[in-house]
Amino acid sequence: MIQPFTSDPLRWVSEDGQPIRELPARFTPELLRELHRQMVRAREFDKKLVTLLRQGRTTFYAQASGMEATQVGLAHSLRVGHDWVWPYYRDHTLGLAMGISMLDIVSQCLGTNSDLCRGRQMPHHFGVLDKRFVSISSSIASQVPPAAGTAMAQKYLGTDEITVCTFGDGATSEGDWHAGLNMAGAAGAPCLFVCENNQWAISTHLREQTASETIHIKAKAYGMPGYYVDGNDIVAVMEVLGHVAERVRAGEGPALVECLTYRIGSHSNADADAEKHYRTREEVAEWEARDPITRVERLLEHLGAPLDPQELWDLVAATHREVDEAVLAAEASGQPGWDIMFEDVYADKPIHLRVQEDFLRAEQAAGGRA
Amino acid sequence: MTATQHQAQAGTAAGETRTLTLIQAITEAMREELARDERVVIFGEDVGARGGVFLATAGLQAEFGKERVFDTPLSEASIVGAAVGMAVRGLRPIAEIQFADYMGPGFDQIISQAAKIRYRSGGQFTAPLVIRTPSGGGVKGGHHHSQSPESYFTHTPGLKVVMPSTPYDAKGLLKAAVRGEDPVIYFEPKRLYRAAKGEVPAGDYTVELGKGAVRREGQDLTIIGYGGVMPDAERAAAALAAEGVQAEVIDLRSLVPWDRELVLQSVAKTGRAVLVSEAPRTSNFMGEVAYVIQEELFDRLLAPVVQVAGFDIPYPYVQDKIYLPGPNRIAAACVQALNY
Repeated sequence: MIQPFTSDPLRWVSEDGQPIRELPARFTPELLRELHRQMVRAREFDKKLVTLLRQGRTTFYAQASGMEATQVGLAHSLRVGHDWVWPYYRDHTLGLAMGISMLDIVSQCLGTNSDLCRGRQMPHHFGVLDKRFVSISSSIASQVPPAAGTAMAQKYLGTDEITVCTFGDGATSEGDWHAGLNMAGAAGAPCLFVCENNQWAISTHLREQTASETIHIKAKAYGMPGYYVDGNDIVAVMEVLGHVAERVRAGEGPALVECLTYRIGSHSNADADAEKHYRTREEVAEWEARDPITRVERLLEHLGAPLDPQELWDLVAATHREVDEAVLAAEASGQPGWDIMFEDVYADKPIHLRVQEDFLRAEQAAGGRA
Repeated sequence: MTATQHQAQAGTAAGETRTLTLIQAITEAMREELARDERVVIFGEDVGARGGVFLATAGLQAEFGKERVFDTPLSEASIVGAAVGMAVRGLRPIAEIQFADYMGPGFDQIISQAAKIRYRSGGQFTAPLVIRTPSGGGVKGGHHHSQSPESYFTHTPGLKVVMPSTPYDAKGLLKAAVRGEDPVIYFEPKRLYRAAKGEVPAGDYTVELGKGAVRREGQDLTIIGYGGVMPDAERAAAALAAEGVQAEVIDLRSLVPWDRELVLQSVAKTGRAVLVSEAPRTSNFMGEVAYVIQEELFDRLLAPVVQVAGFDIPYPYVQDKIYLPGPNRIAAACVQALNY
């Protein structure tokens, strides 16, 4: 039985890869290998994108390294393309695991013609309609009240969809976060709120973020269950999120799940050397020892189905090739020009935008610069 | 709406018009849109059983049920945010913010989510929604029940902003807003809720967003306004007519987009423009109208564009009537333009 409001994070697999509860039957070596493959793929994607950033081919990157069990586990706990997702800006591992193509994510990071969002936002703010993965806003927690609204619409329409809303620990200090949870609670809307608690909001640690002992206990105030999970244990993440998602889908109202994890990398390239400024190398090393990918490898060893090192190297190499190919394909599509700047502001193009577009057209035609 | 009014409405044939107040026209628009389209839902603080503090939604919950017309927690961020999320999922929400003065807590939802989701997603996700809110002074409400914050919203690309001043426009503009594909901030001049009465067709019609209306024709100068100031603008024009001056009066109705063509045609004819609003003067939307007039018609102007606006002070309680531009202040501005 999976209980809300536990004092310690729920866990199935210990840090050294030993099952500490009975391993559910679905976690066969085959499934664990597939989950492992997706986690490694995302980790390597992170590394490649940081390289791309250093080469000056993109301008911003927010790593999710260390958070793979939470995000891959979440992707496997929802019905992709059926349920709706209001994500936050560090969810590319979730996106990849949901089957969003590398080309789509890389294209958004590079702002090329192949970007579904038409080069309108800084890197890492993708959105993909056919996966119902809503385009990301940088404004922290601003996705929370809309997620409540999407869930209210699902309830109104009588669908069996749920809405998943993700955010970091910092977001839980925003007014919109409380407003959104309260709204979903009052409406009994099928919304699954997932806190990816990586303990750092840029340079502000969780203990400075809130005096609350944990995030998940805040659910109590909004009349919904709050679950506390070891976010580096993918078995625990999938067991809890799977259970809670079906509870939400069954019409039992919204729920909050706090996945305790860690941001191994910096917040973004803007604070590239986090350990020099606001946190210790010891702390990072302590969490690296709890790495979610290593834990699955150890579990596979325990189950007598260890990974072949060659298989791992092949996977890493294949992922690097996949990123390189996505980058080449994206760059080959070119960059959008001035002529789409005035589109998608409104469904139509009002007169004042046409006047401004005419000005820009004339300036550009004359070879002018802004 | 009362049972008597229901019967009265049921008895009207298509195409027939009745005299309604501005707020009755708003209620009628919502009732007809609820009946027309199941995707339309209405919510906000106290809009259900109570029918809203001004009774704009009176009777709608009883008629259409609690699933379609409902009360929300007291949180503007939730109300606006929920509207965004519903619209993204395919509904046509009409959200009420009880007073425009309380849009602050919902501001980020309006400017970061509603206004930008179409652009930032390359058109993949859209938020066709309407936020209705009573605004403006003249009801002895002090500064938290009297402000005119429309300029904040005209300054954010992606939003459409409208403000009717007649019952006919109130119904037609609201219907057009509900059926449009963009987020619309629909300001309701609260002092005209019951003061403005006019003929309203019983049947379905819309008033296109972005089109102004000529309220009175004239050739000596053009008075341009919107919302709560319109009756006083017309009173000023009537007073001037008694002195032999024929003022043309234009009601913008929509601020974003606004009817440049109608305004420029009129000012090209008269050579004089007086812009009237009750919002504070600095960064007032009418500053943009003045800019376009001088940009397009500099050599046709016979006088500098004159602006009558609210003062740059928090809206005062005791001096409510002194603060608002009334017919005398508007007429004096017209005389200033005429005597230049």
